[in-house]
Amino acid sequence: MKKFLPSLVMAALSVALTGCLQSEQQDEKVVINKNPYPSTYKALPLQTTLIKNATVLTGTGSRMDNADVLMVDGKIEKIGKDLTAGDAVVIDADGKWITPGIIDVHSHLGVYPSPSVESHSDGNEMSSPNTSEVWAEHSIWPQDPGFEAARAGGITTLQILPGSANLFGGRGVTLRNVPSHTMQGMKFPEAPYGLKMACGENPKRVYGSRKILPSTRMGNMAGYRMAWAEATEYKRAWEKYESDYAAGKNPVAPVRDIELDTLKGVLDGDILIHNHCYKAEEMAMMIDLGKEFNYKSGTFHHAIEAYKIADTLAENGNCAAMWPDWWGFKMEAYDMVHENVAIVDAVKNSCAVVHSDSATTIQRLNQEAGKVMYRANENGFDIAPELAITWITSNAAKSLGVAEKTGSLESGKNADVVIWNQNPFSVYAKAEQVFVDGAKVYDRFDEKYQAKSDFLLGQR
Amino acid sequence: MQHLKLFKSSLIALALATSSASFAESFAITNATVHTVTAQGVLENATVVIENGKVIAINPETVNADVTIDAEGKILTPGFIGSMNQLGLVEVSAVSRSRDAGDKKADITFDASLAFNPRSSAIAYSRKGGITSNVVVPRGGDDMFKGQTFVADLSGEFDSVRVSNHNVIIDLGAKSKGSRALSLQKLHEQLEDATKALAKAKTKDKKDKKEAKEPSREDQVINALLSGEKALVAYADRATDLLALLKLKAEFSLDLVLVGAADAVLIADKIAEAKVPVVMAALENLPGSFDSLHASLENAGKLSQAGVIVALTVSGDTHNLYQLRFDAGNAIANGLTPEAALASVTANVAEAFNLDSGKIAVGKTADLVLWSADPFELSSKVSKMWISGKEYSTESRQDALRDRYNTKSDMPKGYIK
Repeated sequence: MKKFLPSLVMAALSVALTGCLQSEQQDEKVVINKNPYPSTYKALPLQTTLIKNATVLTGTGSRMDNADVLMVDGKIEKIGKDLTAGDAVVIDADGKWITPGIIDVHSHLGVYPSPSVESHSDGNEMSSPNTSEVWAEHSIWPQDPGFEAARAGGITTLQILPGSANLFGGRGVTLRNVPSHTMQGMKFPEAPYGLKMACGENPKRVYGSRKILPSTRMGNMAGYRMAWAEATEYKRAWEKYESDYAAGKNPVAPVRDIELDTLKGVLDGDILIHNHCYKAEEMAMMIDLGKEFNYKSGTFHHAIEAYKIADTLAENGNCAAMWPDWWGFKMEAYDMVHENVAIVDAVKNSCAVVHSDSATTIQRLNQEAGKVMYRANENGFDIAPELAITWITSNAAKSLGVAEKTGSLESGKNADVVIWNQNPFSVYAKAEQVFVDGAKVYDRFDEKYQAKSDFLLGQR
Repeated sequence: MQHLKLFKSSLIALALATSSASFAESFAITNATVHTVTAQGVLENATVVIENGKVIAINPETVNADVTIDAEGKILTPGFIGSMNQLGLVEVSAVSRSRDAGDKKADITFDASLAFNPRSSAIAYSRKGGITSNVVVPRGGDDMFKGQTFVADLSGEFDSVRVSNHNVIIDLGAKSKGSRALSLQKLHEQLEDATKALAKAKTKDKKDKKEAKEPSREDQVINALLSGEKALVAYADRATDLLALLKLKAEFSLDLVLVGAADAVLIADKIAEAKVPVVMAALENLPGSFDSLHASLENAGKLSQAGVIVALTVSGDTHNLYQLRFDAGNAIANGLTPEAALASVTANVAEAFNLDSGKIAVGKTADLVLWSADPFELSSKVSKMWISGKEYSTESRQDALRDRYNTKSDMPKGYIK
């Protein structure tokens, strides 16, 4: 953990010995490749497409009736009435609804795939409370049939996270939900990495049972703080190396530490925090922890008690990703209320997200959001579909740091689009056609657009 | 909405009414769209009369009841019936001392109803889903027999266990240690041995007229399976296991219920022919194991179409039971007819587990739900519900928490109650 210290000493020594020489010979600069497993994703074959006469929920909070959506070169060209385009494929969507592609900020598809066999149980490196060095993308089995099922539910973008046994579980990765036989082929180009952190019961249970820190919630906090303190030193060491090098000196680079690279990435603002954290008092402390070490505390996942601190979350720019109704499986999930998402959303500058954490409910995030909307409206809220859709589109995109690219139907954004047979907040709603970057990736009525994983091929 | 209309003429009935407030009062629900889930189908503008916890009349010529409730045309269904969960046996799944559904030493005689807690917060919460009764299933222990089911209503009253030691649970199929073959072999042997022992006891009785030795408690349960007094409720997914169970049913005349049954679509005709109910989760469509490669959202509809008695259960945790109606809605979206969907959460559950509920018919237990709209739709809710003829609220701890944190106050939230 303190591996970089000796090299600091070396660096100091080398500066002391040679610092007086002005025309110092510089070694090649050590630069860390931040993207060693780059995306090879390319949009599927696409055509200019014009969808006519639909009810459009834009994902920006507005609704347009009898509107057309034009997709050109993989981007949303225009939304409006009576649009025309010369060579476009025209889809009559009369009576149908259109939304942005659905985004799930919390999935374990590919890392805990179906079938759930031991050989593919790769979602949680439960061997140390801090495994910031592991990357979920290195565990992804792209043949998980769950990706196909999620696509049939309108999922176009999803973040795959490591599990929650550790204080620091490792990096999450954001994927495009397209069929591919490599992880890189699904990787969302230029999406920031996430860092999974976990509060509460899981880390203290897993490591407490092994008699190592943490076995308590205060142990959890100590574990985070020690790691951030170390990461702060690591960042400082690299910054000193870079400034010395820029000054013409020939410093020795700090020893590379894969674990600290990730934490430094957070401190540098390149990697976003995704924090499994159920309880109000813990979220409030995690926000302070971010302030103590000067990083953004990001999105709280499974934020069962977010409704208790809705103001605090909004004031600090935190997103809360929530279920509509899961509860009771642990003490930290005991205080669920159906209106949690609505209460968080009602505060100005809030960022309420509905997530799944499930290979099953990811297929129906529209219904998950719908349940919140209806229950809240029964209890004094007045939430319209155009608002509820933001919980699984634009707010989710904001949580993942991809809001510039997707999450809403606006000119210039990626053409990630779902055509629903009806109001998506009905139990009878089905995604009929799904587009990623303007290319059709799913069609309920055309087998040609229904991909099948290698695993299921030829099974009988 | 509730107003007195007609008084009972019988003085005896009035006397009863004062002695037992929960049962003696008779009431009529009028102007309802009644989904009877019987051959009578759907009755528009119908009246249902309830007395002493039972339905005593449907569309009588004259309505004779203490209280009349105008349903304003809303849908009235039988209360939905949950199954295959641990409601009342677990408060918080990960809190060991709040769990009573399993025990390493549990065997075929395990009676978890002794641990049932009607005050569990999950019960009031589940009423939000229009669930009025539930088949509780123990998790059991190391034995392949997990114990016996019991039936409880969701009134939250201390007398809500309706039937205990009801049916027998067995867990078959894929094993993380050992072979599935041994379970099937042992099951067959136990049934065969018990059949032989019974035959032997019979002939012995005739010969020496001495009192036969009473069989062990375990053997008594096996004998109850052989006599059809108890159903064998079997978890299994792969077609080979389902076929093996159908064969056992034929050989020993078992009352068999299949649970899970992901591969059932492969042998739907055989299951229908054997009149074996299938209890399944409508939303399980992923190949979770090599036993369930044929899981699909369309399975409930396909099985029903093939003539199988389909009962739906909620996949996942006990605390999600309230979602049963949404699962049924999704099954409709994927091919189950709305009529079959309603039966799959009412009459078919009752048929699978031999319950006296699940239908709106004269003489049936008055477990009833009045819905604001389509019971399967996300936007509807329970308007009123009755369990054994008594009205219950859908309020739960969750509502109290929401109200506390939605109330503006200068004082800490702890003061808002």
